[in-house]
Amino acid sequence: MSIDERTKAAPPAKATARRILPSPVTGQEFVLIGVIAVLWVLLGIFTPAFLTPNSIQPLLVSIAPIALIGVGMTFVIITAGIDVSVGGAIMLCAVVVAKTMVSADVPLFVALAIAIGLGLLLGLINGALIAYGRVHAIIITFGTANIFQFVALRVFASSTVNGIPGTLDVFGRGEAGRTFGVPHSFAITVLVVIVAWWYLRHTAGGRHLFAIGGNANAARLAGIKVQPRVMLAYGLTGALVGLAACFIIASGTSTLDQAVGSGKELQVIAAVVIGGTSILGGRGSVIGTLLGAILVQTVTSGVTQLGWPSQLANLFVGIFIIIAVGTDLLRERARRKS
Amino acid sequence: MSAETTLATETYRLELRDIVKSYGGVRAIRHADIAITPGTVHALVGENGAGKSTLIKIIAGAEIADAGTIAFDGQLRSISSTSDSIALGVQTVYQEPQLFPELSVAENVFVGRELTKGGRVDWAGQAAQMHGLLDTVGLPESIATSIVGTLSIAQQQQVSIAKALASDASVLILDEPSAILTDPEIEVLFTVIRRLTAAGVSVIYISHRLDELFRIADAVTVMRDGETITTRPIGELSVRQIAELMVGGVLSESRPKDAGTSGATVLELTDFTREGKFTDVNLTVRAGEIVGIYGLVGSGASEIAGVIYGMDKATSGTMAIDGTPVTVKRPSQAKKLGIHLLPANRSSQASFSFQSIGLNIVIGELGLLGRLPGYASMRKQRAIADDFIKRLAIKTPSEKQPISAMSGGNAQKVVLARQLVRRPELLVLAEPTQGVDVGAKEEIHRIISGLADEGTAVLVVTSDLGEVLRISDRILVIKAGEIAAEFTGDATQVEILAAAAGAEVDAQIGADLEIEIIPTAQTETPT
Amino acid sequence: MTLVNETRPIQTSGNKKPRGQRNLASRALEALLTQRVVLLAVLIVIVIVVMSLLDSAGRLSGPYDPDYLASSLISAVPLVMLGLAELLVILSGRGGIDLSVGSIVSLSGILFGMAYGEWHWSFVASLLVAVISGGIFGAVNGVLVAYIGFPPLIATLATYYAYRSLALVISDQKPINSKEIQDFYSAAQSIELPVIGGSLPLVPLGIFTFLIPTALIVWFLLNKTTFGRRLYALGTNDTAAQWTGINVRPNRLAVYALSGVIAGLVAVVTVSQFASARPDAGTSGNGMALPAITIAVLGGVAITGGIGRVSGIVLATLLIVWLNAGILLALPGNDGSQFQLLALGLVLVFASLLNGLTKRKYGGI
Repeated sequence: MSIDERTKAAPPAKATARRILPSPVTGQEFVLIGVIAVLWVLLGIFTPAFLTPNSIQPLLVSIAPIALIGVGMTFVIITAGIDVSVGGAIMLCAVVVAKTMVSADVPLFVALAIAIGLGLLLGLINGALIAYGRVHAIIITFGTANIFQFVALRVFASSTVNGIPGTLDVFGRGEAGRTFGVPHSFAITVLVVIVAWWYLRHTAGGRHLFAIGGNANAARLAGIKVQPRVMLAYGLTGALVGLAACFIIASGTSTLDQAVGSGKELQVIAAVVIGGTSILGGRGSVIGTLLGAILVQTVTSGVTQLGWPSQLANLFVGIFIIIAVGTDLLRERARRKS
Repeated sequence: MSAETTLATETYRLELRDIVKSYGGVRAIRHADIAITPGTVHALVGENGAGKSTLIKIIAGAEIADAGTIAFDGQLRSISSTSDSIALGVQTVYQEPQLFPELSVAENVFVGRELTKGGRVDWAGQAAQMHGLLDTVGLPESIATSIVGTLSIAQQQQVSIAKALASDASVLILDEPSAILTDPEIEVLFTVIRRLTAAGVSVIYISHRLDELFRIADAVTVMRDGETITTRPIGELSVRQIAELMVGGVLSESRPKDAGTSGATVLELTDFTREGKFTDVNLTVRAGEIVGIYGLVGSGASEIAGVIYGMDKATSGTMAIDGTPVTVKRPSQAKKLGIHLLPANRSSQASFSFQSIGLNIVIGELGLLGRLPGYASMRKQRAIADDFIKRLAIKTPSEKQPISAMSGGNAQKVVLARQLVRRPELLVLAEPTQGVDVGAKEEIHRIISGLADEGTAVLVVTSDLGEVLRISDRILVIKAGEIAAEFTGDATQVEILAAAAGAEVDAQIGADLEIEIIPTAQTETPT
Repeated sequence: MTLVNETRPIQTSGNKKPRGQRNLASRALEALLTQRVVLLAVLIVIVIVVMSLLDSAGRLSGPYDPDYLASSLISAVPLVMLGLAELLVILSGRGGIDLSVGSIVSLSGILFGMAYGEWHWSFVASLLVAVISGGIFGAVNGVLVAYIGFPPLIATLATYYAYRSLALVISDQKPINSKEIQDFYSAAQSIELPVIGGSLPLVPLGIFTFLIPTALIVWFLLNKTTFGRRLYALGTNDTAAQWTGINVRPNRLAVYALSGVIAGLVAVVTVSQFASARPDAGTSGNGMALPAITIAVLGGVAITGGIGRVSGIVLATLLIVWLNAGILLALPGNDGSQFQLLALGLVLVFASLLNGLTKRKYGGI
């Protein structure tokens, strides 16, 4: 009897998916849900205005772009990479779309196609350089960040973009941007998170991303097509950047200035690591990223609502990063000892 | 080279002819031929740098040959990627388990060839197949859901093998599989291998442990300096002949060990225990004496060395140096007491890969680089390094060369030199010639012997049976964390193996070993 | 975070042609590609030649001459110094990096401004405030990384946020512009070199008071002290370093603290250059950390640790500074500053691609 026949003849185990995969919600996510709940309750008590639709809705709108790009960033960080060029990419996608809308009143789908297409291209440039160029992701994306910013500034041509039409209002803060009180941009983001969660958990392609981050060499030897997978992760990030740029334009005024996208890459990375994804790769969760984004934006919004100096928000973000990653570290250490 | 090949020529399962491969400016393989018959175990031996791992990588698709042909079952094939070779039925189990630490055992086994049902992974189906696989390699079923990073190295090795088995391989390559296995685990491995060959699978078996080959291999190919020198049925050669083919000459006689003078007791361990690793170890090492501890991975031997050196703590018992009880809490303290240690795994524990040989030698005694505390003079570094390059016959154009450019044997000499910059009172050597070619092995043994002659107390912890017999004055056998037996230098291999593996294996080993057992005091021990 | 880490067989030295037999051209090419310092020197020469040609063709809005080159060195001072800070941290390995240097510049700058400009302390005392506070802020990073085990990217990202916000909060978002600070501008002036200076261009004072001493001290630390040897060792393989008896944690803590000390010095330099202690000095725009890391990478530092030299940092800075200075003349105004961004990005991408290429061709570093 060959080995293969022998294994098939064995009595089938009762194992189900649950026994092979780790539980769908990790310890880190439980903690985050708890912390966010506590924060919301506290804020609700100290600033009654916080728990009103008027305050929650803009909050959700502000969470959307960070969490959306965060999904792509999670994929990238799981492969033990990183992308610090998303700020520059946002700037470029936003200014190109805005200018196109101003100069040639394009319909919604065209605007979206331009944004997502351009974002995808930028992401694939990063992906190609990293996958085929044998260079560290952090260095290359520092470089492309500058290049994207340069191109964006040339398109801006030293002024702001004015008179942006309301084509993208369906993603905005106003009435047109909501259904049953839920902002569309947030709903789409949650949908993307769910699809990404399923992909990472239940498809071979998704599991391969973890394999690449865990041991890229072993992944290659196991026959995984490492380079195309990596390109996919960065390309996805780029495409999501394009979509997020549309959300950002929609949630702003009819004027777009050169500060758009500035510092966003760090916000996204903060959301991802607070969510429990390990910067070393091989381990991560898009649900955690969504929760991380909610936490960061809650803090920012809460600080303003409490009347504290707005810069304090950054201090809290820094502290939360330390606490979140610290507890994750301790948990990992305990798990390894057992 | 076909005149040399004396195997029956039906269609070979796998045949490589006229392979050539270079990296940058260096020829890794000058000319290689190898032909594997179905259902046989074909050993591949050679010193480090001979080209074995490159040849294996070409077969596995991890590298592409510059020239030459590859044929499977008589049909010419091109292998340009790992998936090509996997499709042809080649599976490789590397020395370092190529696993994903954050994924479960089951996921690791199926990675790259997941069972899918309409786009999503078929978890239940995979779980069903795991049952039989785990049984075959001797792992408990419950381990299927364990995260691989939490398993021991030996267990990870077994997972690697299960993974190779799962893909219905026709050619299974095992790269130094026994290096990290205990004897019972090696027996399980051999049973699995025999089962596979009976079913028609070919196994390519790479090992430095020449004596093992006689227990499992059918044919052997020897490589040297990038060429396949010869391929013969295993019965036609003796261990000594294989070793000579690997080195390219006749092995010299081993130097007779000074039977005599040992001095005062330098190291004394009394009821030395580290919970979970070793228990109630009692041993002494005297000045001028070489004590060998023979124990396979997992037996506790290397842990004892680690605790003596201060990398870990003992949970009970005492350690005394020169008669005074001491507690060593960290390596810097050990060094102050005159204890120096050569770590077992050079690449992860000893080598500073892209730094110069000079830095690699002096890094243990930076205080010698300058008169003022904290000052380091490059001239002094060079002088010390050059001195050791000469003394230990390290082959290098200059001390500035990075250690990564050296062969295993030379690199090991560099790391050994590091321990000798300041004369140790007690020198602990863990696996001193692992991954070292036969020629350099001899030189290192000579150096160790010389050190003992000059009065250093030496403790060698090794899983290489030939080595421990060759250089030790006394041999302690560790099994499952306890000293199982003590022998003097004229013990035989069979006695030691028996003590290490447990008496029930004794007769089996005696029967399987086809080499001549010669008391080591007189002659060359097969390595 | 390398993507693919191929292992190579151990090379025996037998097959490479001996040095004498390979011709001069191929040896020069190898030196150019593998010795970063050589490549940078060649690029600097190319930049100067190209810019001088543009100058003589009348395409520049001002003369690209030694005077201009010397005066443009004023921006080299903070850049070299922070580049050296990143060099130290990245050398230490385990993903070593410091994203918080810009925030430390802001925060220590405010503290300096308060001490010198508001509490009227002496210059030396205020300098000590800047340097010691910088060291403490850096040490926080060091504790997080070396003793608690945070990945350096995360730890310094968190402190980047924290210090940045503290600078704005304690200064109430207002720069400190008191008289002492404004007079301090004299420290940034260019001076004539004593004795030989007659026919040489004016050089910014900061080069002599801050840049050269810092560079010399770091060079000395790395090359002539046991600390430097230990740093290279633990950056290459910190497990092996432990086995040789090196106490890894305090050494790693020390480099992060040193990075903070240097950032504290840069804070003082920045205050003098702007004649104002601004709470966003190090964090405006893209921040000071990004250019510093770029300089380090360009200067030949390996992002995984264990490789890097002071000469690389200095030459990389000169290249960028003089290239930027030339761009400013060729394309004045906004255009110029935009093309500087492009130049920085392109140089970084190509330099790192080159690194990847040479690893493949020449096998190892």
